[in-house]
Amino acid sequence: MTSFRNINRRDFLKFCAGTASILGLSEAAVPRIAKALEGAAKKPPVIWLEGQDCAGCSISFINSSNPGTAELVLDTISLRYHETLMAASGHVAEKALEDTIEEGGYVLIVEGSIPTIDPRFCQIGGKNFVDIVNEASAKAAAVIAIGACATYGGIPGDCPTPGTGIGVGEAMDKGLVAKNALINVPTCPVHPERLIGTIVYYLLYGKPPAMDKVGRPVVFYDKLIHDNCERRGHFENGEFLTDWNIFEQRNWCMYLKGCKGPFTYSDCPKRRWSDGLNWCIGCSSVCQGCAEPDFYAGMSPLYERTKEIRGIKVEKIGAYATGAVAVGLAGHFIGQAMTGRLGKGGPPEEGGDN
Amino acid sequence: MGQRITVDPVTRIEGHLKIEVEIENGVVKDAWSSGTMARGFEALLTGKDPRDASYVTSRFCGVCFSVHTMASVACLDDAFGAQVPDGGRILRNLLMGSEYLYDHIIHFYHLTALDYLDIMAVASYNGNDPALKAVKDKIVSLVKRGDTSPLTPRYEPDAFSVADPEIVTMAVSHYLEALKVQVTAKNMGAVIGGGRVPHYQGIVVGGVTQIPSPEQIGRFKSMLAEVTSFIKNVYMKDVLLLAGPGGPLFPLAQLGVGGGHLNYLSYGAFPEGDGSTFFKPGVVRNLDLNNIEEFDPAKVTESVKYAWYKEKEPVHPYDGEQKFDRDKAGAYSFVKAPRYDGMAFEVGPLARMVVEKNPTLLSLIKAGAKPGAVARHAARMIETVALADQMQVWLGQLIEAQGKPGFKIHDSEHWDVPDTAEGAGFYEAPRGALGHWIKIKNKKIANYQAVVPSTWNASPRDEKGVRGQYEESLIGAPVPDPENPINIVRVIRSFDPCLACAVHVIDPKTNQIRKFRIG
Repeated sequence: MTSFRNINRRDFLKFCAGTASILGLSEAAVPRIAKALEGAAKKPPVIWLEGQDCAGCSISFINSSNPGTAELVLDTISLRYHETLMAASGHVAEKALEDTIEEGGYVLIVEGSIPTIDPRFCQIGGKNFVDIVNEASAKAAAVIAIGACATYGGIPGDCPTPGTGIGVGEAMDKGLVAKNALINVPTCPVHPERLIGTIVYYLLYGKPPAMDKVGRPVVFYDKLIHDNCERRGHFENGEFLTDWNIFEQRNWCMYLKGCKGPFTYSDCPKRRWSDGLNWCIGCSSVCQGCAEPDFYAGMSPLYERTKEIRGIKVEKIGAYATGAVAVGLAGHFIGQAMTGRLGKGGPPEEGGDN
Repeated sequence: MGQRITVDPVTRIEGHLKIEVEIENGVVKDAWSSGTMARGFEALLTGKDPRDASYVTSRFCGVCFSVHTMASVACLDDAFGAQVPDGGRILRNLLMGSEYLYDHIIHFYHLTALDYLDIMAVASYNGNDPALKAVKDKIVSLVKRGDTSPLTPRYEPDAFSVADPEIVTMAVSHYLEALKVQVTAKNMGAVIGGGRVPHYQGIVVGGVTQIPSPEQIGRFKSMLAEVTSFIKNVYMKDVLLLAGPGGPLFPLAQLGVGGGHLNYLSYGAFPEGDGSTFFKPGVVRNLDLNNIEEFDPAKVTESVKYAWYKEKEPVHPYDGEQKFDRDKAGAYSFVKAPRYDGMAFEVGPLARMVVEKNPTLLSLIKAGAKPGAVARHAARMIETVALADQMQVWLGQLIEAQGKPGFKIHDSEHWDVPDTAEGAGFYEAPRGALGHWIKIKNKKIANYQAVVPSTWNASPRDEKGVRGQYEESLIGAPVPDPENPINIVRVIRSFDPCLACAVHVIDPKTNQIRKFRIG
């Protein structure tokens, strides 16, 4: 029906506009995106593999309203294999995978880590997961690793068992998975907008976006959370949340509760999560550094104040560090911290009642 | 010997599951359920700050993430001696409730509905409803473009599949609508204090982290109203239309396909202010509703005889080490076999509604439905409706409590890690009974254990050779065409499997559990 086509068209353009905004492109890019996506003779095939995962990235992927997941899955890409979403099971599912690999030229998305010490710790259809990824990577146009596990190993990467998992990049470096153009889109779980943005960017330009030295798209991961945090002013004022019940502290800096924002590069403060409704620090919890290759073990203990990671020292961050005020206040902080007031000049030199 | 067939992977579930069955005369005669992935979280947690556990264990599962955090903070609360204030309790209920609403909706529409619908019947829709015509256009345009992934390929529809174009088209339109509603349901949790989904950030030992603002409460309220409207006007009606007496799936319900052991276990969940729980705990054996027993955690045991772990004497493994043995002869799964009083039990929505003798479920049974795959879908819908209503009540309690002086969301006196302690926490995941156990020594985790719903349901055989509930529930399922074993996936998916979290677990030394804590 005409009316439906209009609605459909509107949804589609909304999807294109949402994607343009994710990628930092102006509205002028919307018709170009629409043309590129509509103009394709066939929908670009996508294979989505899940290894040692929790399906959290899949659940996160379907948690985007604008751009919407339904438009992406049904209208924009041809999702040939995705264990959590596809209709087929068993040999019917496996045949869809084999046929698509045979065809080649698809975008390969990998969720979850790859066990390599004993590769039998993840098997699908009777095959070791590492072999499936190897086969699929060999004939893919590009590979997108999503979430902490598939990018850098994440939590399974820190499990000291024969099941210890590694990320796709490491598996490529070790010669276990065929080398290919790899884009890392970390965080635990992946942010749906960053994933959809990366997919569409690739479809538009036929190449990965500009990436940093750990393979992350610069557009999403080039800013320190701490430098862009909505609570930064409270850090500068020495106002730290010490008790979740104190109403006055509800928007104060989370550093003493263990926030890893000073060590983590990601656009979370601006992009936020769940359609922009909230985010980790927004709910007075702490950033746990899930965008970084050090996550998880390198970020633990999660709820303890951390002074230094990778040579980044909190003392050196922010304008306060140049003043002598922080040192001057160091001797008084314990009493003040009881009420969360640490005076101007950032965190105390040591300790805390966190 | 019958014919042996394998479904691997079972898709539209969480995790990696293989099902093997032996078929004789067109019905399943024997079955084996195998979890085929393991990570080893316990070893990771040992030596860590105990407060990390609620964050890390959320990653057991990205579908039912918050319930692991809930069971984890419950066991940490117990170990730390924390008393969660009323504000924290109510907010935890609202956070957990939001997960249930999204999870049950997504299960019905996106994970399981395709098993019952001949989706291509949409092309034959000839009605005049503009919304349904739009759905037809959409599907037809996909077909014309020659690409209907991921809706096809599929197992072929069978005699039990719904092929009425009107019903199928309506169901597909609801599939698409539900894709949007589940986002709203999930995001309710992000607004009211989770920070984001999946994997909430705002639940910690002692309570929660966010005092919701009036704007956030208002937003939550309107989102809850929107989701509740879908649940009552669409989800409930769809399930009743399909699975109720006279509905196209009622014959499957009458056959009791997917029934299994008929033993049901619930730990109870959603603590109320008076110490009771909204979902009731209890034990029912062989569907004997005249004898609802109290749950006794000391009766939980486990077997690793058929699991890829080093053989152990039948002692409580809490004292021992957890060691994988992927080469063990006879073993076929990473999932262990928990048993209650030596028997295999089902956990999940059907177990919860049986244990509390839910009148709607009982009326379905009275009308001729037997416990099984279809009854499981009905039970899931029934509790979703009840929970959506109760969340309105909790929201009212929150608003009232927040208006009074002294409103608290966290027990800040018990944030510091104790030197030595142990604790247990129990909850009901959307998929069923969940327990977490912790031992703390020198302020670090000395041992961390979880027994999760899909371990109960997906377990392999035990020492006595008794099948797990998935395996038992497949016995007798009709599989006339071995190339198209659609009833197998119907039965398995009706449990809403969640395998990632099922494969890393061992049981508690239950005689050391002194307290029993829910949420």
